[in-house]
Amino acid sequence: MDISVTETPAPTTRSLTLRGRFDAHEAPAFRDALDAAMDNGHHDLAVVLTDVEFVDSTALAELVRGMKRCREAGGDLALVSPSDPVRVILELTKLDAAFTIR
Amino acid sequence: MTESNLAKYRHWASTPLTTKPKYSVVIPAYNEEFRIVPTIGAIASHMCTLDEPWELIVADDGSTDTTVDLVSELDLVNLTLLIADQNGGKGKAVRRGIFASQGEIVLFADADQSTPIEQFGDLLAKVNEGFDVVVGSRAGADADVANKSMSRKIFSFGLQTIVKTLFRIPVADTQCGFKMFTAEAAELLFARQLVDEFSFDLEVLYLARRFGLQTAEVPVTWIDAPGSKVDAAKVAVEFLRDLAVIRTNDLRGRYDADNHVRPTHSSEIAGEGRQAA
Repeated sequence: MDISVTETPAPTTRSLTLRGRFDAHEAPAFRDALDAAMDNGHHDLAVVLTDVEFVDSTALAELVRGMKRCREAGGDLALVSPSDPVRVILELTKLDAAFTIR
Repeated sequence: MTESNLAKYRHWASTPLTTKPKYSVVIPAYNEEFRIVPTIGAIASHMCTLDEPWELIVADDGSTDTTVDLVSELDLVNLTLLIADQNGGKGKAVRRGIFASQGEIVLFADADQSTPIEQFGDLLAKVNEGFDVVVGSRAGADADVANKSMSRKIFSFGLQTIVKTLFRIPVADTQCGFKMFTAEAAELLFARQLVDEFSFDLEVLYLARRFGLQTAEVPVTWIDAPGSKVDAAKVAVEFLRDLAVIRTNDLRGRYDADNHVRPTHSSEIAGEGRQAA
C-alpha cells in the first residue's frame, strides 16, 4: 500500500491518500503517518480511500483509533471517496455511521 | 461507490433471487470473526458488478468464536449460512457449501481474501474456454505472491515436487484456496471426495485427472494474510499421510461411486444446521 500525505490550506488539516490493500501488514505504516500528522498539530485528517481495494479488520481498527484521536483533539478523521468494496465493508460493519464520509 | 454499483449491491443484498444463480461463491469459515465480514464485503461488491445472478454461501466449520453470529446478523438475503455443530475440516465445509450451491459455476474462496476476488474473471475466462476445473495458482511465473514466509515457500516447493512426480497431477499449486468448477464437475468430484482435512484440494485434483476432467491453472495475486492458520510443519506431515490415503482409496475402488449422495433437503445440505442469513 502507498501512503501519501498532502498539505492543505488549513493549518490543522492534512490529507492522507492510501492506495492498494490496507491490511494488518500495512497498518503500522498508516499509524506512523497518522501519528506524525497529529503530533505536528494536524487534528483534521482526510483519509482518501478512492484507490484502496480492500480493508481488513486491523485496518478498520486503525481508522477507528485515528478517528478517536482526532476527535479527542477537537478535530475529526473523515473518509473521502471510499472505493466500492471499502464502502460495502464499512456498511456491513456499521462503521459508516461512526465516520464522517464525504 | 458509484451509484449504479451501489444500487446493484443494495438490490442483491435485499432482493431474493428469482432465477437460478449463474455463480455461487463458497467461503469455508472456521473461527473467522476477525476476517469474515470484510471478505464478504469485498466479494459482494465485486460480484454485484458482474451483472449476473449470484449467491454467496458461508460454510461454517464448527466455529467456537462469533463467526456464525456475525454472518447471520448481516441481513443479506442471498447469503446462505451453513452452520456446523462441530469442526469437521475444511474439506468437509467446502463440500457442504458445494452441495448447497445452485450456480452453474462455483468458486470456493478462502475467508481471508488472500486471493482477491477481482481475479474471479480470470478463472471464469478459462471455464468459458471449456475447462471443468480452474485453479488459482501461486506457482506460475506470472503469479504475484506477497508476504509469504520462507517456511511456506519451502513447504509449497516440496509439495509441488511430490505431487508432480508421484501423482502426475498437472497442477503446480494444489493448495491455493481459490478454485472454480462447473456445477457438473463440482458434483462429480465432491460426491467422491473423502479427505476432509487440508489435503482435500489434492484429492479433488487427483480425482479430476482420474475422471478426465479438463483442468487449467491461472496465475493469481496472493497475499499471505495475517493470522493464517496454516502450520507448515504440521500440515506437511498430514499432507504426506493423505497422499498415501488417497492412493489407497483409489486402489480399493472407493472413488468408483459417490460417497456422499447430494442432499435434497436443506437440513441435509447443512449437515447440522442451515440458516439463510
